[in-house]
Order: sequence, then C-alpha cells, then structure tokens
Amino acid sequence: MNILIIISFLLFIYCLYEDGLLFTKKSSQKQKKVIKENNEKQKFSFSKYAWNQFKKNKIALISLYLLMALVLIASFAPYIANDKPLYAKYEGNKLYPAFAGTNIGWILNLGDETRTDSIFDSQGDFVQILQYDITDWRQLNLEDVIWAPIVYSPKSMDRYNRDYVSPTGKQRYKNPSGEITEIPKRFRHRLGTDGIGRDLASGLIHGTRISLLVGLVSMGIASIIGIILGALAGFFGDNKLKMPRIKYYFSLLGIFLGLFYGFGQRKYVIADGFSNGFGSGSIQILLSILVLISILIVCRYISKLIMIGKLKEDVTVPVDTFVSRGIELLNSIPRLILIITITSVVERSLWIVMVIIGLTGWTRIARFTRAEFLRIRSLEFVQASEALGYSSRRTIFKHALPNSLAPVFVSIAFGIASAILIEAGLSFLGIGVPTDIVTWGSLLNLGRQNIEAWWLIIFPGMAIFITITIYNMIAEASRDALDPRLKS
Amino acid sequence: MLKYTIERLITFIPMLIAISLIAFIISIMAPADPVERLSKAAGTEGSADEQSSASKKIKQELRKKLGLDLPIFYVSISNLASSDTLHKIQDKYQKTNLKALTHQSGNWQAVSNYYHALLKLEKNQKSLQINSSQEDLIKITEVNNQFGFEIGSLLETSKKEIIDIKLTKMENLLNDNTFLNELDQDFDYVVDCYKKLSTQSTRWKTFIPTIAWYGLNNQYHVWLVGNGNDRRGVIRGDFGESYIDGQPIARKIWNKIGISFALAVISILIAYIVSIPIGIYSAYKKDTFFDKGMSLILFILYSMPSFFIGLLLLLGFANPDNLSWFPVSGIQDPSSFDPNWSWWHWDALKHRAPYLILPIITYTYGSFAFLSRIMRIGMIDIVSQDYIRTARAKGLGENKVILKHALRNSLLPIITVFAAIFPSSIGGSVIIEVIFSIPGMGLEIYNSVLNYDYPMIVAVFTLVGFLTMVGYLVSDLLYAVVDPRISYK
Repeated sequence: MNILIIISFLLFIYCLYEDGLLFTKKSSQKQKKVIKENNEKQKFSFSKYAWNQFKKNKIALISLYLLMALVLIASFAPYIANDKPLYAKYEGNKLYPAFAGTNIGWILNLGDETRTDSIFDSQGDFVQILQYDITDWRQLNLEDVIWAPIVYSPKSMDRYNRDYVSPTGKQRYKNPSGEITEIPKRFRHRLGTDGIGRDLASGLIHGTRISLLVGLVSMGIASIIGIILGALAGFFGDNKLKMPRIKYYFSLLGIFLGLFYGFGQRKYVIADGFSNGFGSGSIQILLSILVLISILIVCRYISKLIMIGKLKEDVTVPVDTFVSRGIELLNSIPRLILIITITSVVERSLWIVMVIIGLTGWTRIARFTRAEFLRIRSLEFVQASEALGYSSRRTIFKHALPNSLAPVFVSIAFGIASAILIEAGLSFLGIGVPTDIVTWGSLLNLGRQNIEAWWLIIFPGMAIFITITIYNMIAEASRDALDPRLKS
Repeated sequence: MLKYTIERLITFIPMLIAISLIAFIISIMAPADPVERLSKAAGTEGSADEQSSASKKIKQELRKKLGLDLPIFYVSISNLASSDTLHKIQDKYQKTNLKALTHQSGNWQAVSNYYHALLKLEKNQKSLQINSSQEDLIKITEVNNQFGFEIGSLLETSKKEIIDIKLTKMENLLNDNTFLNELDQDFDYVVDCYKKLSTQSTRWKTFIPTIAWYGLNNQYHVWLVGNGNDRRGVIRGDFGESYIDGQPIARKIWNKIGISFALAVISILIAYIVSIPIGIYSAYKKDTFFDKGMSLILFILYSMPSFFIGLLLLLGFANPDNLSWFPVSGIQDPSSFDPNWSWWHWDALKHRAPYLILPIITYTYGSFAFLSRIMRIGMIDIVSQDYIRTARAKGLGENKVILKHALRNSLLPIITVFAAIFPSSIGGSVIIEVIFSIPGMGLEIYNSVLNYDYPMIVAVFTLVGFLTMVGYLVSDLLYAVVDPRISYK
C-alpha cells in the first residue's frame, strides 16, 4: 500500500499545481496565467499541449479527480473504516488502536495488530489487559474517543445485526451497560449489513483497495510484456532482424539451457519458495529469470568466438510472425473462459489472479505498440538514429518508444478498466479469489444470493460501475488529447 | 483467392495444435488423481478399510483405460539422473514424490531401491498376523494402523526433516511393540536404503539435460487422436468422462448447448436490429444533440458490467417487493411444463418466453453498445469518402445515398462479429446463466469449476478455442470474398 499512498500524493499535488491552486499565493491567478501563456508561446511541449487538450474535456477532468479520490480512499481505508477508535482515552491512558498494524503505526512505532497493553489507572492500580484486535472497544467506558468515520472493519461481524439488516431498517445495539437498545446514530450501519452482520460500507471502502490494486498490478505486468513484444515485432518486422547463423542457433540453445537450469532445475526451489509465501516465491522466480538471462548472454558470447565460414552468414528472424501468432492464439480463447480454466488448476490467491489477468491481457497493448512502431520505423528520426550506427536497443528504447507511448497509454487505461471488470466478475462467481477477502464482486454475489437485500446489489454494483466508467472516460479523453487523429 | 485460402489454412492448423497443447498441459496440471475421482463418480469407492482387492483392480483397469501408465508426451526433456520408466508408477502422489527424491539425490537406482524397500515393508506390514488376547487387540490394531500410516506418508514425502521424524517415530514403535518384530529386518533395509540416498548421491547428474523419445504411444497422442481401440480422441469428440457423474462429456455438452446457442443467436440478432439503425442515425447526424447524447448513453452502457445489469433487472422486475412480472430463475416451471413438448412447440415457446426475456435483455445490451459504437465509427468513416460525395453530386436522394451506397460498405466490419456466435454460445455467457440459473453451457462450466470437474473444463476450453479459430477462418474467408482487395494484398 505504500506505493499507492505515494502515487496518490504525487498525482494530487501535481494536479493542484497544474490547476494553479498550489503555490499561487504570491502572484494572483491572472498574472500567473499570463506568464504561463507567454512561456507556452516560446516553448511548445507536447505533454503540456496534451494536458491542455485533456483539461478541455470537463467530464474527463471530473473523472480524474474522482479517480484521485478513490486512490485516497484506498490508501487511507484502515483509518476510514475501522472498528477500533482512532484515538481513545481509557483510565487516563492515551491509546491509538486503529493505527496499530498499519503503515503510519509502523512509522510511529505503535506496534502490530495484536499489540497487547496492560492498563493501569491514575493511581497505578492494574485494571485489565487489552489485546487490541480482540477487544470490543464499544463496551469499554472510554473517557474520550475519536471513532473512524465508519465504525466497522470489513471482516468484523456485528452479531446484533445479522440477516441482512437494511440501511433504513431497525438496527440493534448493545450499550456498555449490557442492554440491547435501538442503535445510536454514530454506530448505524449506514449501508446495511450482510447475512453474518458485516458492514457493507466498510466492505466497499476496503474493496476499493483491491480493485485499484488489481488494475495497477495486472496492467503493470501486461504493459511490460505487451510493450516489449509489440515493440520488437513492430520494429523488426519479419525481415529486419538479422544475425549470424551461429548466433541465432546459440541464442536458441541459450534459451533452452536457460529454461532448463533456471526453471526445470530449480522447480523444487521455486515451489518451496511459494509454499513459504508469495514474496519469497517471486524472489525465486526473479532469480530464475536472472539465471536464464545470464546463460543467454554467455551463449551469445561463446557464439562470437566461433564465427567462421558459413556460420557467419546472416539469417533473418521472423519476430513479427512469432508475436502475431502468439497474440492470435491468446485471442482465440474468450478471456473469461481462459482465466476461469487457469484459476481452476492453481491455488486460490488474489495475487495469482492478478498475475493471470496480467499474463492474458497484454495482447491489446502489444497490438497497439506494434502498429505504432510499424508507422514510426520509417520516420526520419528513427532512420537517423540507425544511420548514426546506434544499436537497435538504443534506437528502440530511447528514440522510438517514447514517441509511440501515446496510444499505448490509452490502451493501458482501457485495460485497467477491463482488469477491474474481470476481477469483479471472478469474485462475483466466487472463482479464483479467496472467499475470505471482501471485494466489490463478492459483495455483489451476496446480493445475488439474497435478492431482497437491494443494498447489497445497488451499492457494490455502483462502485464497480463508477470505477470502470472513470477509467474508460479518462482513457477516451486522453486518446482524444494525445492523438487527435484517432478522435471519433 | 485460392492462394489466400491456402495461406490461411497453413497458419490455421498449427494454431489448432497449439490450442490442443495448452488444453492438454492444463489437464496434466490439474491437482487431482483422475482415477480416484472417476472411481468415486462411478460409486466403486468404499470407506478406507473396505477397499478390497476388487476395487483396486477396477482402479487399475481405469488407469490403463485412461492411459496413465503411458509417457506424457512424444519427447521429454529431463536430466541424466531421472528415470525413463517412472511414468509406469500408478499413484500420482508417489510419482511426484519419487521425482522430487530423484532430483535431490541424483541417483535413480538408490531411489528405486528405497521405494521398493518401502513397498516391501508396507506389504509385510499388511500381511502381519495378529493373534493376541482380546484386551490388547484394540491397542495393537491402533499401533499397527499408525505404523501403516507412517509408511504411507513416507511414500509421499521428500522433505528430509519429515522423513527423519517419521523414521524415528517408526523406530520407537518397533522398539516398544514386540508384535512388530517380524518387520525389523525390512525396516532396517529401508533405513539402509535411505542412508544410501545421501551417501551415494550423484547430484551432478541432474545438471545434464537429456532428451528422450517415446514414440506415438503417449498420453497426448491418445488424448488427441485416440488409440484405435476404446479411446476415440478429442478430434472425434471423445473428451472423456465427467468426474461428477461419470457421464461422457460430449453427451453432457450436447444436451446443454442448445439453450445457450438459442440465447446467443436471439440476442445477437436483436442487438443487430437495434444497433445498426442507431449507429447509422448518429453517424448521419454527427455532432448534433442526438449524436452526443446517444454517444454518452452508449458509453455509459458500455461501462456497465453485465452482472450488475442482470441483478438490477432481477431486483426491479422479478422481485415480490417491487414488480414480479417475470419468474426469478430457470427456463421452465416443472409443475406446468409438459415434458412431451418439443422445444419449438408453440406451447413450449409460450411457456418459456417470460423466463427468457430478462436474460436476453442482459445478453443483448452489452453487444448492443459495442456494435452501435463500431457502426457509428465505420459509418462516419464511409460518409466522408469520395464515392459518397459523387453519389450526392449525381443528385441521388439522401436516403438512397445513405442506405444504398454507404450502408453496404459500413456493414463489412460488423459482419465479422457474427463469427463469434459459436464460441460465445459455449463460453461467453457464464455470468448471465449463473445469475438467471439457465441450465446451459455457462452454468455447466460454473458448476464444473466449483466441483473441480477437470475433463469438462478442459473440453470446454478446447472446444471454444477450436470454434473460435474456425470462426476466424470463416470470417476471414468471407471477408475476402466480399472485399476482393484483401486477397490481392
């Protein structure tokens, strides 16, 4: 979650800055604008032009602000919806229960979730032991307390409000003296509860995290694969990548040996890593990839040593055919069926679902990158960089890629929307995502099982719908802004 | 044209093979022992102590029938240490365990000795005669069972620490109980063999890759084209038997596909009928209020998840709290539906219509938004072309220009979407059929995933892949027929 917080802050500050809301106290808004316009006349910058174009689309601008609000909600979810108070004064002791076990709590050294305090009153007499995560804070006689805006955690079950309590209906509450009464306004389930008494509003707030994370991680994976493959296919085509025959054969050999030593030989190590947790498993996978790359490099180096006679002749590598066939193959199976099939043979885990969505979602990005590279590779600046004798790597990544990112960015934004949609669909079906994780899709699934509980359908559905619309709006507007030719 | 067809066919066949390979890999990766699942489905599985030699024999035959004693693929890439006869071992978990052990020690002979020693110990332990007084019998049986359990778990673990713990446990049992004395020799042999695993280890062998060729008699080949005997292979429609009820997969799919296909065809037809006029009209009235409003509505519809729409429809129109115009789920009411009606019978249609209205609306709207957007963009593209201007300059009426000259060409891209009907009738409607409980393919896939019915999942995967490839091929060829520029590229 650290990443999300940092990104959200940066984006937020950048947008405030661009809007002139920040750092404008010294000179008035108008003067600043004049200065800005003067500067723009002197220096034309594409990103500024695109941003101005984007800003003209009011709906898209609103979507961008909404997206930032979503990111903020996701980042601060534990402080927005928590059944522990943010601040509590108990028998003269100041406590910060909600922060224990979170990022901020970690920075301030407030301990982890299961932190246990022995409470002494002002005379120094022992009162009781409090373990933060199992204490019912509502039943304590707190002298002073600040609750989170929503006073429930997504997994905490309110046993007095089970069986689909409606947001407008009668809700019950057990007060500190032990009587069951009508619920005070502060503790109402504002959006109702599900069958086992979990608060819907809290589930929605925490579900934001998962949805945004799914979009970010899976599209991160997809765009890395898609951009690299698409760039190679578009830049080299079928007959531009030439290499000596011996180097070609040794590269194939290197890939074979790399796969053998990196993955075949290490498969038990990798399996052990994954049984210890997702993190150590990923580290092992990264190590394997490292092994593969280093073997490939060694093989290509050896091939340089024996470059003699006929082996020196150039052969062409049909990169484009390989990549295009791969795209066609992946596209030939409907994405949902593909993902359902793969998730049925692997473990249930949110991270694995994200990786699978990413691994199946790169085709669109690759196609756009490829098309853009096909157009760009005949332009003067690419030919100039080739004529200067720069290596293909430098030409692709330093000259061609930055100039072809606009349509790719658009397809990534659309891709995030569809990744969120697919994750919601999967958890709606109860496939792949573990059942104990509260997501928007799983909340909607609860609504499907009990159609009378309209709040379990309307609110999560609207959350999914709004998020997807926001991403689609931003994608469409940035397409219009970045590439006016594509405007429809 | 002929050349183009041949070119397409040449790329078509490798793709089919690739899809079949992916499907096969998934079926191999499935984390279950097919024999256990199938014998459970057939009802031959008894409780643990009822497992007689008869049921074992059935399992063995099943294993043979499934071809699990064959090598997996034509070739296998492994290392020098691994054995080429490992695939003959029947138990799936023991097989993977032996693989791991071989990988650890690098000496197949030692692993094989260890395995056989364990098997011998297990056999002797099972045939142990227990004759003792009545009061000891319970305790002795318990100890004996525990000993057997330890052997069983030794057969399935490759972790050094666990093996050590199990061996010491067994040793204690042997020392404490005199009736196990007969097994002492066998147990010592097991420990001896286990020690040899590390002393005679040849780990360097695992670093040398080898390639083995197994020939045509392998699992993939039998799965794909059959063995000319009892297996007919995927290309002849034999997808095996379901883990749930032991029925042939092909028959199950055939029974379920009709309703999904009907839904797909009806809703795509409706989507075409609605979206083409809307697309044409908004392209014709480009940048007017109608066009902008319609674009926004279509855009919002496009972002609306189908499961949300479906649930909203259920909430609004099939809910006793609001309006209960339509039934909630299924496609027929068993109390009033006459099973003698064939599906095209008027009464049957009349009976089913209310059940199908909400699903069809849900099904239609997604492709409706998509098609309208495509139609509008294509039409805008065409209207600005020269030949349209020429037609107008000739003095043709606006209706004739749009409906006769522009429409025909702008329909081209939309026709290709029609090829997606067949695959989507198999796999495209999981969510909708789950929401409305329609007993079609989508619900079948959903149930098979929930019940881990892997043959069904793999069959659907293969079929959808094949049909989509065929659909692509047909639509490409049709496109080339309609638009001759393509084949002259």
